[in-house]
Amino acid sequence: MAGFASFDQVISAFSNGQKWDATWGKNFNPTAAAVANEWHTLFRGGGNPPADAIFDAGTALNFQAVKDSTSSAASLLHGGNVQPTYYKYLASGHVVTAAATTVPNVISLVDVIGFYRVTAVTTTTAQSTTNTLSQTDTFTAETSDLCTFTSTANIPSNLLVGTRVRCTTSGTLPAGLSTGTDYYYIRVSDSTFKLASSYANAIAGTAVDITDTGSGTHTLNWLLPRYTNGAGVQAIFFNPQATALGAGTPNLILSYTNSTQTGSRGTPTTYPIGKTAASNSHILYTGATGTGKYNYAVPLQAGDAGIAQIDSIRNDATYTSGMYSVAMIKEIARFPISTLGLASERNFLNELPSLPRIYDGAALYWLVGSGAATPANSAYSGLLTFIWN
Amino acid sequence: MLTGIKDIIDAEQEGRCRYYRFRKVPSQGSTAGIWFDMSMSPGMPVPKYWFDAAPLTAKAITQSEDGGLFHGANVSPSEKYLRSIQIQGFCSSTTTPCPITMVLCDYLLYYPTVDDGTTDEQTMTNTVTLPRYTDGEGVQMIAVTTGARTGNQYFTIKYTNQDGVADRVTPQLQQNTSTSVGSITNSASTQVNGASAFIPLQENDTGVQRIQSVTMQGADTGLFSVILVKPLAYITLREVVASTGVLVGVANDKDFLLYDNTIPRIYDNAFLNFVIHPTSTTISSTTFTGDLKVIWK
Repeated sequence: MAGFASFDQVISAFSNGQKWDATWGKNFNPTAAAVANEWHTLFRGGGNPPADAIFDAGTALNFQAVKDSTSSAASLLHGGNVQPTYYKYLASGHVVTAAATTVPNVISLVDVIGFYRVTAVTTTTAQSTTNTLSQTDTFTAETSDLCTFTSTANIPSNLLVGTRVRCTTSGTLPAGLSTGTDYYYIRVSDSTFKLASSYANAIAGTAVDITDTGSGTHTLNWLLPRYTNGAGVQAIFFNPQATALGAGTPNLILSYTNSTQTGSRGTPTTYPIGKTAASNSHILYTGATGTGKYNYAVPLQAGDAGIAQIDSIRNDATYTSGMYSVAMIKEIARFPISTLGLASERNFLNELPSLPRIYDGAALYWLVGSGAATPANSAYSGLLTFIWN
Repeated sequence: MLTGIKDIIDAEQEGRCRYYRFRKVPSQGSTAGIWFDMSMSPGMPVPKYWFDAAPLTAKAITQSEDGGLFHGANVSPSEKYLRSIQIQGFCSSTTTPCPITMVLCDYLLYYPTVDDGTTDEQTMTNTVTLPRYTDGEGVQMIAVTTGARTGNQYFTIKYTNQDGVADRVTPQLQQNTSTSVGSITNSASTQVNGASAFIPLQENDTGVQRIQSVTMQGADTGLFSVILVKPLAYITLREVVASTGVLVGVANDKDFLLYDNTIPRIYDNAFLNFVIHPTSTTISSTTFTGDLKVIWK
């Protein structure tokens, strides 16, 4: 069985070379020095990997999935795909900076699952998004209700229980299934599954009754390439361009479907408030003071554990120019950096039970939370060690 | 409710886990060896002032109304826990207040504006009760200076203990000479019963349900408020190192499962903040920044 069940297996994985050491170096990208307690992405910072060229491109308001294989994504390398034979984890890492007056700060490793681009920043009403279920793989069905993937192009082993999916076919779907109907994923193994008629049924394991195998080639369609049910997925508003946003201090609001696949969920309407003329890479509502600036992620509605999809995005007052993007992210790890030139080290094996899972296709990036005024082009570097079993 | 390690793993894997950032920059001075309440300090979250309600009248403290270190929305019927704290500090001066012991507390109920200027018994009005830890078990008292004084006067507090027994009386407490708003009134290493931020209770008592009165033994000019708190977690900002133009407190990252073998419960709507113990010099030029990591099940 994939994954680690003991320390012995961890030792064995290291001994067998089931590991990948990823060195990296990125520059703090904003053209203006960061204000203390602001957060910025390092997506577009120069270095290795190089600057991304995706987060300010593509059709506005369409969900765009991000994978390590996405052209120009420029995410951190983590050793390639290992599923379904193995599962991969982040074993340890360190981050260091020697750039003047950058410390103290916190740097967070995140998996960016996808994003929406908002170009109509003078529109103050909610702008609906388009969530095309573009992750697809083919499958066959049995009358035992069990379905088996016959392709792996979009890494179906990443699918999690409760994920909303739809079925399409080149012929006739198996009896019991219909096109245009939402189903909810019951994970049986990395390559097999059943479908439920509701999220509750998926959690309960109650499958749709499939009475024949249908004809033609059947395809399962879903939205998120990783963390597919949305559990633990959060959202950030940020400026992905090379230039600053225009003037404006709008409340930034999302309507979303949560990880129990319940729609019409909302972020607080009175905060967070975006910063006027936010510099490139700035996470718009982060800063030293003000209501709701408690993290880089947008606060969710009470009780929600994550976002399965964003249904609309709103800035309730205008930005005079520019654009912003809303990314769906999953935090992997957080490194506090106190001292110039002194590496912040983490051994996740010793920080049980937090050995973070790295899914195939993960698009890993850094976010920087400045404790002090952080100059432009400050350099960060480090090492991440991934292991799999 | 957490029942084992698997529940913690599941909470993190299933997204029931959040980091929340804080950044407090005290503008008030402090004194080495005198405990200090950071609630009234500027930064994020914004200050909460303990003199903003009717004098001598109990007022409940909640996140939704009063703020405090943000720990996320309510999660009931699930329960929320503090998984870890990460704390850093830095200052531009050449001296630093580190090492600093910091106690994260759930602030429950406060009695504003006890007057140093009278030796009459100052009776409290208790129209509200503890919003959390309602039986008072483990609930402690802190006295926070809100108006400067000369100092060295004595006082006692009459209270109802965790079993509902009234008229319990603290040992005699001596006020310190700190003029700083936010300092713990009776704290100082040389003061009678002043070693801790938390006021000693009558023998065998383990908590406080309510305060009945405060009596000054001698008059002075200051003001203080008495707050009922539940200490949740201790962390120390241990050392500082010279950096470019600043002194930086080396981050302390405390995993409560690993280091305390327990994970503090955070009740819905809890008001969280730190009581801290600077050991060297003033904290007024120090920035405290860090994260709370919470999980829920």
